[in-house]
Amino acid sequence: MPQFDFAHVLWPQLAWLFVTFAVLYFGVVRLTLPKLGKVMDARESSISGNLATAQAVKQAADEIDARYHAEMNASREEARKAIADAKAKAAKSTEAKLSKAGAKAEAALSEAEDRIAQAVAKAEGALATAAAENAQAIVARLTGVEPKLDAAKAVVAAQA
Amino acid sequence: MANPMEQFSVETIKPLSVAGYDVSFTNSSLWMMIALAAVSIFLFVGTARPQLVPGRWQAATEYLYDFVRKMLDENVGPEGRKFAPLIFSIFILVLASNLLGLIPWVGAFTPTSHVTVTFGLAMIVFVTVCVVGVWRHGFHFLALFWPKGANVFLGAFVFVIEFLSFLTRPFTLAIRLFANMTAGHVLLKVFGTFVVTLGSFGALPYVFGILPLAVTVALTALEVLIAVVQAYVFALLASLYLNDAINLH
Repeated sequence: MPQFDFAHVLWPQLAWLFVTFAVLYFGVVRLTLPKLGKVMDARESSISGNLATAQAVKQAADEIDARYHAEMNASREEARKAIADAKAKAAKSTEAKLSKAGAKAEAALSEAEDRIAQAVAKAEGALATAAAENAQAIVARLTGVEPKLDAAKAVVAAQA
Repeated sequence: MANPMEQFSVETIKPLSVAGYDVSFTNSSLWMMIALAAVSIFLFVGTARPQLVPGRWQAATEYLYDFVRKMLDENVGPEGRKFAPLIFSIFILVLASNLLGLIPWVGAFTPTSHVTVTFGLAMIVFVTVCVVGVWRHGFHFLALFWPKGANVFLGAFVFVIEFLSFLTRPFTLAIRLFANMTAGHVLLKVFGTFVVTLGSFGALPYVFGILPLAVTVALTALEVLIAVVQAYVFALLASLYLNDAINLH
């Protein structure tokens, strides 16, 4: 194999390999790759920066959304409370009015009853007087003696 | 039948000598230069005007660079990034040599099919690993060979084995690449010869040449794959060895 003919292939190849590699490393790769690396890093950081910005914006939006929902819930709750309060107040005032009216009606009723009782008593009194007068007149016609009205009244009361 | 080893012979193009050493410009040197030129064009054009949104050429260079950077990130960690240019240089030189050597008809020579060249590349890796290891950890670098929590006798025994295995790394690294390249090229040459030999069967010309021709086509595809995979393996092992020097264990 010519590869193992070192007397012939060793130094020429090693020398030119090191020349080639030195030129490649210092003259080509070191001049070009850093430029490429810079661009790649810039791209990476710009992409990750954009992603971070997007994430931050999304988070802010989420916060606003959560706040909106919380506020909506709070105001809904408030409205519900206001409605319940108003309802309770209305119910209370209705009850008060009803009870007041009820009391008034009762008072009027008892007054009327009193009046009726008075009227009945008065009527009863008048009836008794009339009966006594009638009895007086009857007695006067039958006996010619006019009895006293008070005695007639007493007799009528005793007869009743 | 032509000698399948003939393709590996180093032919002097211009004899040169420095301080008594023969450093002639040979076909091997020529193909190293061609690989260097191809890589230079690829890189200089690809990075001429780097854009945040890359063009085709820039995307291709970025793809390779990103490949090497990811490999170092995975195997070495954040400190491996510093060595990306070195590993990239080794990777792209091996890759270019492997692939260019497969071009038919132009008398292509594969520098990586010579153990001298692969050993030179392996030594670049090995020396870098030693220098980085000693520079970062000093004498403590020897702890790489000492098994944690072993008793003294077992430890000493393992130390010797680990140390020898560390010393064989450049050889295994060199021989793996050289053997793969050489074997592939020999195989291609042998089947190529079969095409001619069987195809020139007098009574029924060409017909029997078809089968070895098909095999040669298939083998060429396989060799392209091997050329890429071996360049990857070389760079991967280099980064694993580098990891030992940087992170110990």
